[in-house]
Amino acid sequence: MKKVVDVSIPLGPVHPCWKEPARIKCETRGEKVLSAEVELGYMKKGIERIMKGRPWQEVLFLAERVCGICSVIHNMVFIEGMEAISGITVPDRAAYLRVVVNELDRIQSHLLANFSFCYTIEHETLAMYLLNTRERAMDSLERITGARVNKAYMIPGGVRFDLRDADRAALCADLDHMEEAVNRYARMFEGGPLIATRAKGVGILTREQARIARAVGPTARASGIAEDLRLAHPTYRRLQFAPIVRTEGDNFARIMVRFQEIFQSIMLVRQCLHDLPAGPIRGGGTCGAGETVSRGEAPRGELSYFIRSDEYGRITDIAIRTPSIMNIDACTHYMLPGVTSLADVTSVFVSADPCIACNER
Amino acid sequence: MSLLQDVKNWVRARSIHVSYVDVGSCNGCDIEILACLAPRYDIEQYGIYVHNNPREADILLVVGAMTPPWVERLPALWAKIPPPRAAIAIGNCPISGCVFNRRETYILGPVSKYIPIAAEVPGCPPRPTEILSAVLSVAPTVFRDYEVKRP
Repeated sequence: MKKVVDVSIPLGPVHPCWKEPARIKCETRGEKVLSAEVELGYMKKGIERIMKGRPWQEVLFLAERVCGICSVIHNMVFIEGMEAISGITVPDRAAYLRVVVNELDRIQSHLLANFSFCYTIEHETLAMYLLNTRERAMDSLERITGARVNKAYMIPGGVRFDLRDADRAALCADLDHMEEAVNRYARMFEGGPLIATRAKGVGILTREQARIARAVGPTARASGIAEDLRLAHPTYRRLQFAPIVRTEGDNFARIMVRFQEIFQSIMLVRQCLHDLPAGPIRGGGTCGAGETVSRGEAPRGELSYFIRSDEYGRITDIAIRTPSIMNIDACTHYMLPGVTSLADVTSVFVSADPCIACNER
Repeated sequence: MSLLQDVKNWVRARSIHVSYVDVGSCNGCDIEILACLAPRYDIEQYGIYVHNNPREADILLVVGAMTPPWVERLPALWAKIPPPRAAIAIGNCPISGCVFNRRETYILGPVSKYIPIAAEVPGCPPRPTEILSAVLSVAPTVFRDYEVKRP
């Protein structure tokens, strides 16, 4: 039977709500979205092709430029892969410092994602509050690593800079400020009646659908799938850590999972600072030949690197799988169909926190 | 110089509408532009309004290394912006391709081959304050006495 469609509405690639170019075609009947289709390819730079045949020292910088928002986890997963290949061990202090920087990066990424959602539903006050709080996280990152976005903090065998006592005090102050501020904004979000109409019950992804679409990260955890690759990471295992799960599966749940993960990340950073052992921050080692799959939990979900290197530490083959592709799929195939208003399409898409740059590389 | 022109110069220096287009960046420059919106930098106190609509923009911020799909779309987008207009390249990518301009790459930079670039802000990525000062210094000079200079 021929499908009855009123009109096919394209959104993007340049759209006021989206930071990055993507095109969504929505087939609608009236205001109701029947089906959606995503068109990608606006950001394909061929990073994996550039990486092949280059020494790890260059690939290190290319890897974090896969994604500017979550550059730390790309750096971390690639470096952990190189360490696994070459049998390099990391000093304890460096392992904890990696977790500190990674969690700070997660905080700023989640704050940015929640800012985007609030901005998309036109709650500009809350959005600006969140964006301003994010600047505190960026300050902490800059103090520790020396850069705001592309940091290249981790290297095989350790990290590049130690945490100085003055920075540690400033970091603790920033954490206290962020916890208090985000606590207030999370309550504003939770209790806002107008936010509830735009967020609760919109863009539902059930647990079953999340499993079929292979959703990952906060998107999956908001649909009741308790998966977090940090559970498999040796340093995180030493900290008390349990993934945050909600069961509603709507926009509201996805944003609230991110808010709760910000608190969790703050606790993890505090715990790391408490347990931080003294000692060196860099060990020795030479990158050698081998092949491995390295995985880690990016702010958006599971990130994996397949790396093959030769005896001089050159990367002969590399394949990256980023979390956004699964979440975009889950969004277009399961969240968007059935959305009752076209006005909600952008907010549903943003609530899945798609990162097109990661996705296409 | 007529009084009308003076008024126009004054108004144009204080009300700058900005649109940004991402032609294949790593997202780093995008989020630094977004950070300009934060109350700490408060881009709107200078009369700069960021909204991603080319049809009401004065300044186009170009971010990214110029991927093939944008070769046709970027000039089309530029044509939609009503004059007087100016484009600013943000970050190393639109200027030189940065780390992406290597063997085996897909990018077709630099951006200045496709649209006229009035100013360039290097950095990977530049700080929000640098982006802010670039927009503030370019807009009044480019838009000054526009009607007189126009051929």
